[in-house]
Amino acid sequence: MPHTSRTPAEAVEHYRGRIVRLLSCVTSAHTTVSGYHASDLPHRLSLADGDPVRLRGEARLTLDATEQYRVHEDAEGWRVEIVGYLYAIGYEGRELVAYHWHPHGDSPITRPHMHVGADIRVGDRWLGKVHLPTGAVSLDRIVALAIVELGAEPLREDWERLIGEAAVR
Amino acid sequence: MATRTDNEIRELSPEEWDQLVDEKARKYLGMSGAEFERRLNAGEIDIDDSPDVTRVAMLLPLHAPHK
Repeated sequence: MPHTSRTPAEAVEHYRGRIVRLLSCVTSAHTTVSGYHASDLPHRLSLADGDPVRLRGEARLTLDATEQYRVHEDAEGWRVEIVGYLYAIGYEGRELVAYHWHPHGDSPITRPHMHVGADIRVGDRWLGKVHLPTGAVSLDRIVALAIVELGAEPLREDWERLIGEAAVR
Repeated sequence: MATRTDNEIRELSPEEWDQLVDEKARKYLGMSGAEFERRLNAGEIDIDDSPDVTRVAMLLPLHAPHK
């Protein structure tokens, strides 16, 4: 059951707390938010002002994370809804994999998709430019991917618990 | 149970956020934030054109499609 709050500010406070605890599993970088109120345009939450942050570990991984969110009220109360995201993991200065969802704006690709950093030519297209379809992806899955599959070193012992908690909205 | 972290959270005003976008547009794309936003909204720049474009574009409050 998604978390609901009594006020818009409380809903954003809950959301940002969950995201910051999750990110603390892999980075000590700061997180920036743009607002705590209901708005026609989405707010943004970004790790390290939108710059990629270096993750600890032998692999030279980086993480990009920006979410766009709206605060809205329903019968249960106020909640934060993710309405777009950019999550990317880089390796040795290049983007390894990127998960995008930008349903607004003028891009013809409005569904969640991913890009892979592969120098493979498919006919007259590069695979890296192809929008590979995905379902909606959440940041907890990206942090888990970085640690479990790609060798990022967790910064805290309770990272599995925090990832599990972040998965519960 | 809440878990404390040392990760800092910064809240930026709309003006500060505009400055952030401008800084990142100049750093990654070599243009002002205003020019980038105009060209993105005009369809002159594809949000998926490069990792740097997507990175800066996602800092903007993406609007409803013009179409």
